[in-house]
Amino acid sequence: MTWLNILKHHRWKLALLLLASNIGLLLNIAFGRVKTVSEWQWLDITGEGGTALFILLWLVLVLKCRPVGRVTNYFAIGLSCLFFSWWMDVLDEFFRLPKHIGWDHWLESGPMPVGMVLLTIGLFHWHREQQAINQQLEKRERVFREHRLFDKLTPLGGADYLKRQVQDCLVQSREQQQPLSLLALDIDDFAAINQHYGHAEGDAVLQALSQLLLLNLRRHDLLCRLAGDRFVVLLPTTGETQARLLALELQQAVQGLAHKTRHHGERVHLAASTAVVMANDEPPEALLKRLNLALALAKPPRSQRA
Amino acid sequence: MTPASDWYEADHRFIPGHYQPATLIDLALSRDIDSHRLLRGTGLFYEDITAGRTRLSPQQFFSLIDNAQRLLGADDSSFLFGQRLLPGHYGAASHALQHAQNLHQALDTVTHHRALLSPLLTPRLLVDDHYAYVYWLDSCGAQEHLRFVLEASMTALMAMTQWLSGERLPWECSFCHAQPRYVEQYWVHLGENTQFGSQLDLMRIPREYLTRAWPNASATARQVALQDAQAQLHSLGVRASLLDRLYVYLRNHAQHAPSLEQTAQHFAMSQATLKRKLSKHGTHFQAQQDQARKHMALYLYQIKGLSHEAVAEHLNFSDPANFRRALKRWTGCTPNLIRQFLNV
Repeated sequence: MTWLNILKHHRWKLALLLLASNIGLLLNIAFGRVKTVSEWQWLDITGEGGTALFILLWLVLVLKCRPVGRVTNYFAIGLSCLFFSWWMDVLDEFFRLPKHIGWDHWLESGPMPVGMVLLTIGLFHWHREQQAINQQLEKRERVFREHRLFDKLTPLGGADYLKRQVQDCLVQSREQQQPLSLLALDIDDFAAINQHYGHAEGDAVLQALSQLLLLNLRRHDLLCRLAGDRFVVLLPTTGETQARLLALELQQAVQGLAHKTRHHGERVHLAASTAVVMANDEPPEALLKRLNLALALAKPPRSQRA
Repeated sequence: MTPASDWYEADHRFIPGHYQPATLIDLALSRDIDSHRLLRGTGLFYEDITAGRTRLSPQQFFSLIDNAQRLLGADDSSFLFGQRLLPGHYGAASHALQHAQNLHQALDTVTHHRALLSPLLTPRLLVDDHYAYVYWLDSCGAQEHLRFVLEASMTALMAMTQWLSGERLPWECSFCHAQPRYVEQYWVHLGENTQFGSQLDLMRIPREYLTRAWPNASATARQVALQDAQAQLHSLGVRASLLDRLYVYLRNHAQHAPSLEQTAQHFAMSQATLKRKLSKHGTHFQAQQDQARKHMALYLYQIKGLSHEAVAEHLNFSDPANFRRALKRWTGCTPNLIRQFLNV
């Protein structure tokens, strides 16, 4: 979300927070006496002020990274309450209020439990939300997440993510005595699509393909984009015969895909080559190398340009 | 600074901004990268590039590459850039390339018009009984960007020849650098047989592919385009880089290993000027001398099939021990090892 969008979507919440903080400050100025510098407790000022600042930073981060919605509102209001509480706490390091005034304790301690409850509700719903998202990420992510390994073009893991997963799966399959297969799929003559329709269209084809392939996989399979137009599927507890069947299905699905170009709505005809290898006792790099060599053999010689 | 001689150097502004640099800029923009951030520190303005007014020096191009690489943050940037590079939209030279009737003509066109088609890296073509070899030399002191431009240039040549020939050509690539972490990019874009840790940055293809006719080429259009490209080169004012000219001089005189003094004299400048120019390109005379003599030795072994003694004699080594030591310094290999290495 851009900074402008944050202001647009959360302007009321932010304005309210600003207003409340200012009213707190004005009340202190109106009713209190300013403490002299010798009365300042530096430890308290840094501790309480620092906490307030950090909570403000969290608030900004949450608003910046999360889409607008119920869970975000819980977080925003909860964090605002916490910030306000700490803010009032910092203020009384600088102002001394007369003994008979009681509202300052309310302003200081009242918002804290409210904020905590709201934040907790937010976290609980966030957990539920995350479960729903995980379900959507099925076939694209297994157990481990590292956003730096995401592919930049398609919503899939990249080659480094794949290598890590292959390593984990190899260990797992050895422990559980289960077969593990890898499937590679490569679009025939993809360069021609780029040449003919432009590279932007080529990118769109890759994005469409990643969705299509996901639809044709089982729940526990993992799809990654290796490089260019080459995809690799990790197939746990799958023997070679079954993997070949899956490869054939993916090939047919690619052939059946009637992708339309964005500008003229022309149909792009696609075909794919696939290769399948079953993991032996070998390092992940060797396995991937073997898979790619098998794919090179499976590629048809190119047809003549029309 | 405008070129004063018939060569270009790293700080000469001669690369039109709307040629290769625009290709990289378009790639970055297609990935939603802000044009201001992309051009930060390069001294360039996007509006000037789109107006076709700007010329870049190789150094500016390198800092553009640096920015693009960092902002794109992906392992395939150089390869995607390469795919878009050739034949390109570089005026008549691109047309001449597009109408090449076979691989040999295409390679000749790229080599001859390298100042227009491949300003950062010099391609050189060699042919023996079995293979045609294209090896690439640093034109402008690419240093830490050498790998990026090598990946891009080899991908460019490969993608273009596959496209224009209409068939999958059996190119094999080898690189001097060690196998990088993202080796799968090489598999997909340059083929599964790519080698690393080699003596040269080289592509080779069986010789018979040089003369196979390519479809859709027009001999007449090519003829006219070649004439126009000649005029284009003429108005550019330069044809090759200083490092390139130096390489040719040193290799042609590899037998006598010219000294710094002789070389400076040949290029009509003082020794101090030559030294300063070389250090501007991140290199020094001895390194260039060694490279030229090493390439000569490899050429004599591989293409001419000479024996150790003949190679040593040709390069004017009186003593076999001296030759062994020199070869070891150039290649890291002894003569016997280098033979085995080349046979693989």
